[in-house]
Amino acid sequence: MTVFLQLFLSGLLLGGVYGLIAMGFVITYRSAGVFNIAYGQFAVLGAFMAWVFLGSPTAPRMPFVPALALTLAAAVVFALAIERFLFRRMIGKPVVASFMLTLGLLAVLHSVVMLVWGARTTAIATPLPKGPLFLGSIVLAREYLLASGLALLLAAGLAAFFRFTRLGLAMRAAYENQTAARCLGVRARRVAQIAWVLCAVIATAGGIIIASVIGVSLLLSELVMVVLAVVLIGGMDSLGGCLVGGLILAVSQQLASYYLNPLLPGVDGIVSMVLIVVILLIRPTGLFGTRAIERV
Amino acid sequence: MRKSRAETDIRRHIALVENRRQWTALAILMALLLLLPHLLRWIGAGGWLMFTNFTLLTVVAVLGLNVITGMCGLISLGHSGFIMLGSYGVAILTVQLGWPFWAALAVSTPATAAVAAIVALPAVRLKGFYVAVVTLAFFFIAQYVFKNLPLAGSFHGLVGVPPPRLFGWKVRTETAWYYLFFAAAVLSVLASANIARSRFGRAFCAVRDNSVTAAGLGIHVGLAKIRAFFLGGLFAGLAGGLWAAYVSVVRLDQFSLWDSIWYVGMIIIGGGGSTAGAVAGVVLLRLLGQILRTATMGGWLPLNSNAVAALTYAVYGLAIVLFAMFQPHGLMAIWGKLRARYKSWPFGV
Amino acid sequence: MIYPISGRGRASSERAARAPRPGRVADESAIRSARRRDITGAQQASDILLDVRDLELTFGGIRALAGLSLQIRKGEILSLIGPNGAGKTCLINCITGYYRPQRGSVLFQGHDLVGMPAHRIARLGVGRTFQDPTTYAGMTALDILMAARFSHGRTTLLDAVVHFGRSRREEIANLKIAEEIIRFVQIEELRKQRLAAMSYGQRKQVEIARALAMEPTILFLDEPMSGLDEVMKEIVNDLILAVHQKGVTVVLIEHDFQAVTELSHAVVVLAGGLKIAQGAPEEISSDPAVREAYLGSAAGEPAEEVRV
Repeated sequence: MTVFLQLFLSGLLLGGVYGLIAMGFVITYRSAGVFNIAYGQFAVLGAFMAWVFLGSPTAPRMPFVPALALTLAAAVVFALAIERFLFRRMIGKPVVASFMLTLGLLAVLHSVVMLVWGARTTAIATPLPKGPLFLGSIVLAREYLLASGLALLLAAGLAAFFRFTRLGLAMRAAYENQTAARCLGVRARRVAQIAWVLCAVIATAGGIIIASVIGVSLLLSELVMVVLAVVLIGGMDSLGGCLVGGLILAVSQQLASYYLNPLLPGVDGIVSMVLIVVILLIRPTGLFGTRAIERV
Repeated sequence: MRKSRAETDIRRHIALVENRRQWTALAILMALLLLLPHLLRWIGAGGWLMFTNFTLLTVVAVLGLNVITGMCGLISLGHSGFIMLGSYGVAILTVQLGWPFWAALAVSTPATAAVAAIVALPAVRLKGFYVAVVTLAFFFIAQYVFKNLPLAGSFHGLVGVPPPRLFGWKVRTETAWYYLFFAAAVLSVLASANIARSRFGRAFCAVRDNSVTAAGLGIHVGLAKIRAFFLGGLFAGLAGGLWAAYVSVVRLDQFSLWDSIWYVGMIIIGGGGSTAGAVAGVVLLRLLGQILRTATMGGWLPLNSNAVAALTYAVYGLAIVLFAMFQPHGLMAIWGKLRARYKSWPFGV
Repeated sequence: MIYPISGRGRASSERAARAPRPGRVADESAIRSARRRDITGAQQASDILLDVRDLELTFGGIRALAGLSLQIRKGEILSLIGPNGAGKTCLINCITGYYRPQRGSVLFQGHDLVGMPAHRIARLGVGRTFQDPTTYAGMTALDILMAARFSHGRTTLLDAVVHFGRSRREEIANLKIAEEIIRFVQIEELRKQRLAAMSYGQRKQVEIARALAMEPTILFLDEPMSGLDEVMKEIVNDLILAVHQKGVTVVLIEHDFQAVTELSHAVVVLAGGLKIAQGAPEEISSDPAVREAYLGSAAGEPAEEVRV
């Protein structure tokens, strides 16, 4: 029983982090209508930028707060740049074209990281509480505790933003129909910029959090598979669904890693893939996504 | 008996090669291609023959993706996985079970197509990105399966796939491989063009343009998607099988997600849906990569191998980004515009 | 010639003014109505082709169809009219398989269409046009007609890949049929033109041609004349009559009441997801309940008075 509780609780914590990261993806999908498959690279880039400023635990560079501020500023600049030079042009073009753009972006960003930093793995110096937390016989990762708390807070904040503020409403309108929203006076440009900024900032934050546990490397780009699984389980246009999806995925991974790994080594790596197939077979719109009825 | 005017019109409408001028152009092209190995050797670029062979195999594979993505509009990021299936199929049958190559290819190719049809099943009800994600998931699951399958030699892969025998001779030299692959490529091009001018090709286009109202045309949309994947898997299986014999070693790390992405890029760059477009896309990207490689190896750009790979990715990615932004209908659209301008010169379009 | 005084008088006189032939007046419509009745007089009181029973459709909280029942006779031209939101397009979508009603049945030639997939219904001979003909933008008119011949093909994938032989014969046969339909609908100049480059009216013609290419027994036309100018409306009007002459039962959704009166044998009025009236056009236009719900008492005098 304790084993199950252990798995469940560590899954819970990890799920919070997954949910947080997935929100960045959902925001660009909901407001800008872009299926950003390069999202994993955003996280990698953000983590490496943070490493540039923060340094590794053995060779720290700047104190945390200014370093974080610089990293986030860089993320904002990056987001505004890609909105201005890449995605602004794609307004009105078929959605498939934007998807192709993100495919190309995926390759370009990956190669940039490879060229600048190489294929290294390095630790990152963050003041996140490290080490294990003991609750009786249950061991939990302290890093994820804080991150989960942050995730819940952020999720609540974003939900409130979308529902209660004018800007949030404008962003939701822009997702439904960009042209109509512009006719109604929604400044589509501002909405798009905010969406991409939020996306980049969340990806960076998520990248830093995960990197503080597994280190900064190109492997972080695998996060995109996790994000896709979370987003599909939860529903592609639901922020709350991200948290639920993250929970389900993380707990499944923990359970698989403990119970199934002895039989099928490494199966916890593809839990996200299997879940994707399963959810697309039984409920493609996800648990909380809106089901669109095609009008003919 | 002379055919009536309407008859001739109809035949011309479905013909692949329309008039005498096109026939001559085609004849010249075929002559050049048949003599290519000798031409290359004559100008001292014999080393390029290996590149040509790889490109021909890529053409076969990507023509398959063209049916799935170009004609039917289903974005597949798992095509590298289908090629992997074809390669492993041939490798397992020849190395582990001792089958001769052609028999192995004859079984492995339809088997790959069948698996592709199964992968299509979740995609039947789904649209757009969801299909892309399903194919992505398939790719990783397939990799996992082969990694843990002892029959597939897990990490080390399978070594010693025998070369095929043609009319009693073993295919060993680059030139021999070239003619084999060239034949395969020509057959694939013909097959792809024939699919396009059949009722299935049009059904694929209808499903691509509007899968909801395609049912109003009497088209079973789900079956169309399954057929598209089946055909795509057929081409991919063939390419993979031939490739296994060519390099004689099949290992997991030879197949990556990046390849899938490049294949999709080739389709976009070439121009969605047309056979000629797919071939153009393959040739362009492969040439770019080869030029980059010769430039760096030749010492003009001093970079280590990691950096070369990264730079290749960057160039490919940039090409995809540029085409996605400025010319999503690809090279074929550019060609169409040039032709229109040429026809109406000097008056302007 | 005295032009009739009616709510639609201005429209009639405009049509007359624009018509190329002199002396073409609104009594042409009476002639047309008479012609239509003559032709199909022999087919009066024929059997029921499509029987809709108690169809109920609800989306979320909206009841689109509330227990609708309707019969369509073989060989007639039936018009469905009603205010926006009355459920006309929903009804067609239910019949043709795009929406799934919660309750009810649709009987057609011994099959219950409810629950059948849309492509199977289309293959049974239930054809329809779509209100928005802007799909398939990249295909030419000929391509679309050929695509519509899909279900009449018998070739396999292998035949298609090889092409020479069965697939080629089938292609040529289908191309001949497509050409015939193009001649029938009189869109020869649009054969090789892409849909995206056509005008709205031309696209509507191609849409009807597309529906015909499937050789339907019954054809549902969803607002075939909406958004068209008077000249195009005439063309489509004549086309519908020609289609009907070929033996196809036609069901129209239309708002143009004049076209409805000219063309139809029977008119069904829907409102709020229910049928509120059914009968010949003249009866309907004088039915007070219908006027209340749809025509509105301020729309002018009902029923054209034709004076020559």
